[in-house]
Amino acid sequence: MSVHMTRLSIVPARRVAIGRALGLLVAVMIVGITLAAMGRPPLELLTLILRSTVGSRFGIEDLALFMTPLMLTGAAVWVGVRVGLWNIGAEGQFYAGAVAASAIGLFGTMPAIVEIPLMAVGGILAGMVWIALPAAARAWLGVSEIVTTLLLNFVASLIVFYLATGPWADHVTGALASTERLRVGLPEVWGAVHIGFFLSLLAVIALAAFLSRSRFGYESAVVGANPEAARYAGMAVSRNVLIVLLLSGGLAGLAGMIEVSGTVHRLQGGLANNYGYLGIVVAILARRSCLALIPAALLMGFILDTGIVLQTAQISASAVLAITGLVMMAIAVGDELSAYARPAIQPKTSGQTS
Amino acid sequence: MMALLSGLLSHAVLSGGVLALAALGEVIAERAGVVDLGVEGLMSVGAVIAVLMVNVVPDPWVGLLAAMVAGGFGAYLFSLAAVVLRANQVLCGVATTFLGIGLSAVMGRSVAGMPVPAIFQPIAIPGLSRLPLIGPAFFAQNLLVYLIFAILPVLAHVWLFRTRMGLDLRAVGENPAAADAVGIRVTRLRVLAVVAGGVLAGAAGADLTLAVVPVWSDGMVSGRGWIAVALVIFAGYRPGIAVLSGLLFGLVTAIGFMGQARGWPVAPAMLNTLPYLGTILCIIVPVVALPRLRRAMAAPASLGMPYHRSAR
Repeated sequence: MSVHMTRLSIVPARRVAIGRALGLLVAVMIVGITLAAMGRPPLELLTLILRSTVGSRFGIEDLALFMTPLMLTGAAVWVGVRVGLWNIGAEGQFYAGAVAASAIGLFGTMPAIVEIPLMAVGGILAGMVWIALPAAARAWLGVSEIVTTLLLNFVASLIVFYLATGPWADHVTGALASTERLRVGLPEVWGAVHIGFFLSLLAVIALAAFLSRSRFGYESAVVGANPEAARYAGMAVSRNVLIVLLLSGGLAGLAGMIEVSGTVHRLQGGLANNYGYLGIVVAILARRSCLALIPAALLMGFILDTGIVLQTAQISASAVLAITGLVMMAIAVGDELSAYARPAIQPKTSGQTS
Repeated sequence: MMALLSGLLSHAVLSGGVLALAALGEVIAERAGVVDLGVEGLMSVGAVIAVLMVNVVPDPWVGLLAAMVAGGFGAYLFSLAAVVLRANQVLCGVATTFLGIGLSAVMGRSVAGMPVPAIFQPIAIPGLSRLPLIGPAFFAQNLLVYLIFAILPVLAHVWLFRTRMGLDLRAVGENPAAADAVGIRVTRLRVLAVVAGGVLAGAAGADLTLAVVPVWSDGMVSGRGWIAVALVIFAGYRPGIAVLSGLLFGLVTAIGFMGQARGWPVAPAMLNTLPYLGTILCIIVPVVALPRLRRAMAAPASLGMPYHRSAR
């Protein structure tokens, strides 16, 4: 950067928001010009997007449905990142949670009022089980959780594919790579928006309160910042690492349970829809604040929702994926550039750390 | 039985080569302190560009070259955002992957599902290729395979560990502030390392479509880029081990194929989980056995952290 600029170590939320908005604007302009060059009227598409996302009741419902899993997978990644642990396996834990919930939802015989809480607990536990090995290996052996959690994603998606095409395959309608409709589903509260949306919102708020007020929240933060100091202060480092990762897996598992029982209603291949990986994006966008996961999930949900709208306008899913990538890149750059400001005082005196 | 084993082994070497090449590229980028999660996307672009190119000029080497240029260019765009502008590396990497997978599908529409007109043909090494079992697997492959397993890892190792530039590059990954203080151009070296990694990722894509699975279809890279990133950590950021781990992954995958061929009473999808579970075991078991390994395999100290001169 030029000599006249200085990098802020703490960036005010308003600057970040402006930086991201500018990034988004640049990406939208690039996409618009490209579409215009391909003979598609960009302004018409823009009105279509706005009308079908934030401009109509159905659009807002869809947005809420996209936000739901993103808030939880975002939270799952965020609790780890907060203490320097990278759970790249939210996708796998999401599937694990969905499988457990589907097992109960497909084969259970109890009334919905008993079964739904059971599915939620099952989903959370399955997510925890799915991360248990990487978590234990990280906590006691120091094995990088990045690789082990990532590799288990592929295993989970293969198992879901196996279940959905094999033993649990739908024999009624013969849908491809899908189970039958679960017998119970989350009650819908507002149009297509089910109770899972509010549950996810509540989970993020509860998590923020829990981490900022509990002893565990404090200890794990210390462990993340400086394990040696934590050990010196008598904190159980390994146990804290284990618990943080289990919590992370549980949140992702809950996301899977909510998605399968509230939105999709069937266990199918591709159910996770990259929500686990996008959770990483949401967590990074939220930066240090847990509550910021909510607007971050809204932004990501908006991008995904826009993608679906573009697909209805005959723009291929692949082109939409490329556009998503471009937008994410632009936001990342806008995010970083928002940290640069004209110094109020001369740069020489602004000794800062980041 | 012998023919089956030999065939599987050869396929393991061939398909392991794709991972080895991509992992080698990522080793270089990560040694300079940059996590490039765009490998999957760069491989996709390389794979499709290679096919498009050989449809114009039916020579696999021209296809490979085009794929390398495309991979390098894609990585350069990533480095402009993540290194020069210092945006979040993970975010930019995932974005590059999405961009690459999406663009490759759009570009490859005209050639999707069509046979590739020119591919790398196996060249048998006289004598050695006659060896039972390992002969066909290791000494009757295409030239790329020999390059990947015999020549490139040596070159990469010498470059990173035996040259001044390699030392500078690793210094930039360990402690960019110190490197900057002694006059090493941090940003330039990081961009260079990322582009070198992208060139190899593009080549890995070309290897996939011009040698392993000679046809382009959407999403055909199917996670190989992510596996390559995982193998880098598994290999402790060492070029030689990264290449070997690609081979190992190919071998475990081959066991699954053997199960299918021999009619083991296990669903194919379950057999396909073997390489992933096998890799996890290979990561955890040695650390249990040799706790000292942990330090030797540690990541570069400044991996993933953008360098701000003002924060020095």
